[in-house]
Amino acid sequence: MNAPLFPSILISCPCSDNVGQRSPTRSRASDDDIDIEEEGETFDPRAPRSAFSLFPLENLLFCEDCNQVRCPRCVQDEIVCYFCPSCLFEVPSSTVKSEGNRCTRNCFSCPICFAALSVTATSEDQTGPFVLLCSHCLWSTQDIGIEFEKPTSITAQLAAKLKAATASASSSSSSSLSAPETSHSRPLSPLSSSSGTYFRPTSPIPPPASTDEAEFIRLKAHYNQQNAIANADDFGGSGSLSRLMGLYSTGAGRIRSYGPGALQKSTQTKNRSEWQELEPCRAVGGEDEIIEKMKCVGFYGATSQAQRIIQVHNPKLLENVRPLAALLRTKRSKRCRSCRHILVKPESKVSSIRYRIKLVARSYIPQLTISRLDHNAVNYFNLQPLSNHQFLLTVTNPLYDLINVTLATPEKTPGKYPATVYILCPEFEVGASTDVWDEALGPEAKPKAKIKGKKTGLAATIWDSGRNWTTVILEIVPPLLPDTELEEDDYVVKVPILVRSVYESDIDRDDGIGKEVKEKKEHSYWSVLEVGRMGKKTAGKVGFEESAGARPMSLMSTTSSAASDAGTVRDRRSLR
Amino acid sequence: MPPKQVKGEYIETDTGNKVSRKSNILGSQNIILGGKTIIQADCTIRGDLRRSGAPGQHGNVAIAVGRYCFFARSSVLRPPGKTHRGFYPMKLGDHVFIGEGAVVEAAMVGSFVHIGAGSVIGKFSIIKDCVRIEEGTVVAPNTVIPPFSRVAGRPGVVIEELPETAQDSLECGRIVKQIYRMI
Repeated sequence: MNAPLFPSILISCPCSDNVGQRSPTRSRASDDDIDIEEEGETFDPRAPRSAFSLFPLENLLFCEDCNQVRCPRCVQDEIVCYFCPSCLFEVPSSTVKSEGNRCTRNCFSCPICFAALSVTATSEDQTGPFVLLCSHCLWSTQDIGIEFEKPTSITAQLAAKLKAATASASSSSSSSLSAPETSHSRPLSPLSSSSGTYFRPTSPIPPPASTDEAEFIRLKAHYNQQNAIANADDFGGSGSLSRLMGLYSTGAGRIRSYGPGALQKSTQTKNRSEWQELEPCRAVGGEDEIIEKMKCVGFYGATSQAQRIIQVHNPKLLENVRPLAALLRTKRSKRCRSCRHILVKPESKVSSIRYRIKLVARSYIPQLTISRLDHNAVNYFNLQPLSNHQFLLTVTNPLYDLINVTLATPEKTPGKYPATVYILCPEFEVGASTDVWDEALGPEAKPKAKIKGKKTGLAATIWDSGRNWTTVILEIVPPLLPDTELEEDDYVVKVPILVRSVYESDIDRDDGIGKEVKEKKEHSYWSVLEVGRMGKKTAGKVGFEESAGARPMSLMSTTSSAASDAGTVRDRRSLR
Repeated sequence: MPPKQVKGEYIETDTGNKVSRKSNILGSQNIILGGKTIIQADCTIRGDLRRSGAPGQHGNVAIAVGRYCFFARSSVLRPPGKTHRGFYPMKLGDHVFIGEGAVVEAAMVGSFVHIGAGSVIGKFSIIKDCVRIEEGTVVAPNTVIPPFSRVAGRPGVVIEELPETAQDSLECGRIVKQIYRMI
């Protein structure tokens, strides 16, 4: 839905690595030219598995006990409260269990355009019969022939009217002896075709229920009954459990009986209860009526697929749609799946946006942002191949301690068309996120650019730094793509970067030593930078276009693109 | 970040707001601005549309705006009203960003709301806190948008639930402070 916004930064959650077999004896056959201190392979953003583990930083939580990032897939949701998104009234969970998960007040959506319906009076003064009116497409319940006497408790009135409508419709479609012509004052024939779609064969079996809902209740009751009978006879029916148990226990165990039907008896067909059908199959006919009607109303009188599938009774014609009751929404608290620690707990009040507990990754792991070094030279959608593009990578530290950040990336990005990536300063320090007042009250002096890290011959300096952030330069040289048609994904330059932060933090010792001991903690994660889209090599100047990168990162929503390339290697993210 | 404005284009009010001289403010005595709010050029704010009745004194507010709000160019703020019943006061929360060319006629907009450029918010709609409205959305009248939603389309419906960090992403305090210092 969104156009891919460049550049975007996605973080990989390691939860997918524990799924499936994991070979601990995988040899350290890592490439020598990859300067990564951890064992294992680099993160391939184009591998099929990695697409499912990439998330923007906003969606990630952090578990303090496990000291690891948690993505939406590895947290467990628990519902705190239910509320209607339209009237913002809280619905107690007992009501949800009994009445269903829709609002039972006056909240409905338009079946045509899905906007909100409002209760309006048909006449000028506020006393006339009321209808539900859509203010966007001007559909109202008058179009299906329904009006309400009171403006409150529309759900109850609507249910009553629909039940009455289908009851009279079915009775009119059944035997013609009893013809209730005068029962209802409103035209109800539009609703008749919604329920009377089956021709009932004249058979000795009792006539089935008229409405789909009553039919469902009947079927459900029948199958519940069959289920009870099956369970009473034999555990799991047809002696399957007994046979299974017999396989594993020999000798004395065989004589043991499981339930009232013993093993010997259960093998006989007498006790094998079959699930019986409620009634023999019926011939479903009667579509001619609908087809005739569709011919009359034409294309614009029939429902579209989206309108049809969201309705309960699958109507084919626009005159049979019903207003949609609003689905309830929930406030959920999230829990780490492994250690059961609560990560997010909202307040139970519906209108409050505060959280009682909020352990988000943003406040624990260093945050990456990227922007261009030279505003005029880079067009994110048309990166020039074989030329040196420079980007500024900013690492922001949310912790109260100083961290040492190490960035690592393979020299050539993985994939069919590798781009060359250089990080000019792979190791640097980022200051602690101290109080704002310390910066305001103290002198406005910026710390000197620290020269740190292994000198590799390149100028290993940082570009800029502030109170709790540091900016380094990233150079990317995209390759020259062949002129053949490639998938859209091949054009995107994806750079995997391993971010490793080491810091010392004070821990409180409970065993009464009394001294404050600093503990060395470390955290690392893989991140994928989607830098831009490669273009064709042009001889002249690149056209300048203010692309999305000019906006500040905090207002931009990052999207994760589906890496659907035919990846071969299943890469394991290395995390100590 | 917008280019540096010509000096003198913005008036600073006594409560600390920066209002462009080229903006179109009617009925300014009925408008309350919270502080550190920026109103760009060509922005229309209709403070003259208010219910004139018994409370005809100075306490009759048409539009109340919170702090750190940003109204981009050509945006329109209009209090909603019904014929024969007058206009309803409009209330905006803090950190509300209204994009270029957006027309907002909501009855109430909460805090930390991002309204994209070119969108239309219908009359008497209620937008709660931490909502992002995408560009070009047309929100039907009388809609209620719950907190932590992302709204798009015509008519605007909730397409996604925003994560818990939405408040930090939608907070425009930092950007407003930077622009405030520049202009």
